[in-house]
Amino acid sequence: MKNVTNDLPKTVEALKKLLPAEDILTFEFLTEKGLTFTVVFADPITDKELLGEQVVRALRRFDGPPTAEEVGKHIASPEMKREKSLEKLAAEVLAGNPVLLWEGMDEGVVAGTKKVFTRAISEPSTDVAVKGPREGFIEDVKTNTSLVRRRFKTGELRIEMVEVGRRSKTFVAVCYLEGTSKAEAVEEVKRKLGEIEIDIVPDASYLTHFLSSRPYSLVKQVGTTEKPDIFCAKIAEGRVGLIVDGSPIALTVPYLLIEDFQSSEDYFVPPYRATFTRLLRLFALIVAIYLPAFYVAGQLFKLQLFPVKLLLTIAGSIRDIPFSPSLEMLLVLLVLEVLNEASIRMPKYVGMALSVVGALVLGETAVSAGFVSTPAIIIIAFSGIGLYAVPNLIEQTSVLRLAMLLVAGSVGTYGIILVTGFVLFYLVTTENFGTPLLAPFSPMIGRDLRDSVFKYNLGSLPTRPRTLKSPNKRRLK
Amino acid sequence: MNKISSRQLYFFLACVAPVGKLVYLPSLLVSSAKNDLLFPAALQYLVQAGAIFCVLLLAKRGMNFFELLENTFGRIAASILIGIFSLFLFYSALLPLLEQKLFVQSAFYDTLPSLVAFSPFFLFAVYLCAKPLSSMGRVWDIIAPLAIAGYIGIMLLSVGTADFGALRPVGAAGGSGFWKGTMSAMSWFFDAALLLPLLGKFQYKKGMAAKGALAYLLGGAAVIFFLATFYGIFAELSQNQLFAFTKTSKYFAGITVLGRIDYLFIFTLALVMAFYCALPIQAGIDCIVQAAGPKKYLRPALGIVLCALYFALTDLLDYRFTEVVRAISGTVVWIFPVFCLLVPVLCLLLRRRRREIS
Repeated sequence: MKNVTNDLPKTVEALKKLLPAEDILTFEFLTEKGLTFTVVFADPITDKELLGEQVVRALRRFDGPPTAEEVGKHIASPEMKREKSLEKLAAEVLAGNPVLLWEGMDEGVVAGTKKVFTRAISEPSTDVAVKGPREGFIEDVKTNTSLVRRRFKTGELRIEMVEVGRRSKTFVAVCYLEGTSKAEAVEEVKRKLGEIEIDIVPDASYLTHFLSSRPYSLVKQVGTTEKPDIFCAKIAEGRVGLIVDGSPIALTVPYLLIEDFQSSEDYFVPPYRATFTRLLRLFALIVAIYLPAFYVAGQLFKLQLFPVKLLLTIAGSIRDIPFSPSLEMLLVLLVLEVLNEASIRMPKYVGMALSVVGALVLGETAVSAGFVSTPAIIIIAFSGIGLYAVPNLIEQTSVLRLAMLLVAGSVGTYGIILVTGFVLFYLVTTENFGTPLLAPFSPMIGRDLRDSVFKYNLGSLPTRPRTLKSPNKRRLK
Repeated sequence: MNKISSRQLYFFLACVAPVGKLVYLPSLLVSSAKNDLLFPAALQYLVQAGAIFCVLLLAKRGMNFFELLENTFGRIAASILIGIFSLFLFYSALLPLLEQKLFVQSAFYDTLPSLVAFSPFFLFAVYLCAKPLSSMGRVWDIIAPLAIAGYIGIMLLSVGTADFGALRPVGAAGGSGFWKGTMSAMSWFFDAALLLPLLGKFQYKKGMAAKGALAYLLGGAAVIFFLATFYGIFAELSQNQLFAFTKTSKYFAGITVLGRIDYLFIFTLALVMAFYCALPIQAGIDCIVQAAGPKKYLRPALGIVLCALYFALTDLLDYRFTEVVRAISGTVVWIFPVFCLLVPVLCLLLRRRRREIS
């Protein structure tokens, strides 16, 4: 049987066959006129209080003709809908919406009384701003889309729901501004989402793999944010946003590498300050990636790289170290990575103890025991801090730093230069959704450079980024 | 990958191409033209700018190099001609590669490094060769500012220590010195030939030929200023300063306190040079691909074979660099003007209208 029939017991049996799980319950109730309704619902995710209030109590006094239309009118649920297909009704039950069936009717009524588990909206720990909004996305797609809708009081904002995941049937909200986002990009996003054949989507990060043109690449190709203000700003520039049910991380495409050097705060402080901090982030990242590598290459292959006095200091510190410079640096880097990994996963109350162990026991004692030198610890510490200046790129940059270190230890400075060349070439040839990753630097787009590493004031940014090829070019009249 | 834009092309001509002329060429010019080293370089730049003007005019026809040849000579003859031209490009790549290898060994290592030190370059070159030549346009967008930064950094640290009076008296080397200098420099000027395989990968825009030639001359002016500074610092000792741009800045007063900060700029220029040195190989491979048509593994396969060959050659000729320079810039130096000057000019005579090819 595919559809609801007039025979209630048979319909309920067919529905139960589709939903054999123990937590799918049915109950019956009678109206004052003696009409019997059967409700099928998923126990853990249905709001029973709401069901009682909006459905059962409303229908107790129902005395009209028992048609779906009449029953629907009595149910006080705005999300009520009628459905004939048993499969679709089963899907609604699994989504938390109870299904109402009664004798003599060949369609069911879906009452939108699912239970929504949400935590309070709070500031995301990964994207803290001193100035600016403090709201962050949570795990509920409805709440998240409401945070977006609140910021765009225009009908141009389109929020299209797409289901992804064969078993999880996760809702993904595709958000874009009609007439501002490139239509081809919107279509491509929907096509890519439609082609995903995956069991479940536990988090938004699962989708990034399917949305990337080079899915096995180390390089990030989809933008991520936990803040609705950033998300909306990106949509307003002409990007397409994705909010995934169950994930506080929203995705945006097309993604430009420069996005991760920009912070929401840059737009709330004077432009010269924003330019300075962006340059500082870039500098910190370059130093974080290259400093350990150049230190090792300098020691092993070209001592001239160090000023004489510094060279003497280094020579004094490494005199009794039993390891080669590259092995020593790798060791310290490994300790840093382990400490970093452990401190993230460790319960908070142990975290303090871990810092003490990391800083004092491992650092201080290792130096005094002669395992590692002080300059190595200073360099790795600085590199470790520098990496966090651009937190969204940590996964990529920490691998790059390790690669640089390995090359520096084996080939020296020329190896570092060549790896840089490799990375540059790879980056300039990476495109996603028709947008080059390294724009506006390569291809160079002069106007877009005004909001790149440099930040001009708002008056100088009257148009949307050309890179995104938005059909609606002006944002400032 | 999109087409190369006119801006990217100008970046290449003005910023990337000059970097290859800052390593061995300055000392070579001094050895033949003495304090008149600027004039042979200037002449080379003027002549080469003319050839570049011709090549960029060819872009008006909207055909790639192979199509241009095929349009006039037919498929078979065009394949042979482009094959010969790609052989020239592979030949022209040898000197910059040897030069770069010695530069790397000298500048980046305190002691003579093992074979391993330069070999990663060939991996890098294989990677570049496997990609379409048109993707280089975006690379030029990135490395041109780096080249400018590197050049300005080196010059800021060098100019203060230069005595430009050393360039006088003008004309002291005489006509023979000027001629010898011009001939020896010839094998470093093949930029017009590098542009021929790029035809069809960029769209001609109004005034592009003149702007391209001008961009090249702008780069030339920077090289000539560097040559003057170089001679101003080392005077008659210049001919012994083989890797010029690593040497000029080392007398900067701040270096004793800060260390070799000039290496920051040297690294930057070395990165630009790595891309520049691989370009003739990429261009040669692209010529073959133009004739053979797009085949999936042709580019990487040719890249691997050629880079393996260059790896062996650079290793074999490691200690014979002077002899190689003498041979390439001496006995067979005519090859360069033929392919870099004559071919671009002759190409202007190729059939203009597209012929129906069955």
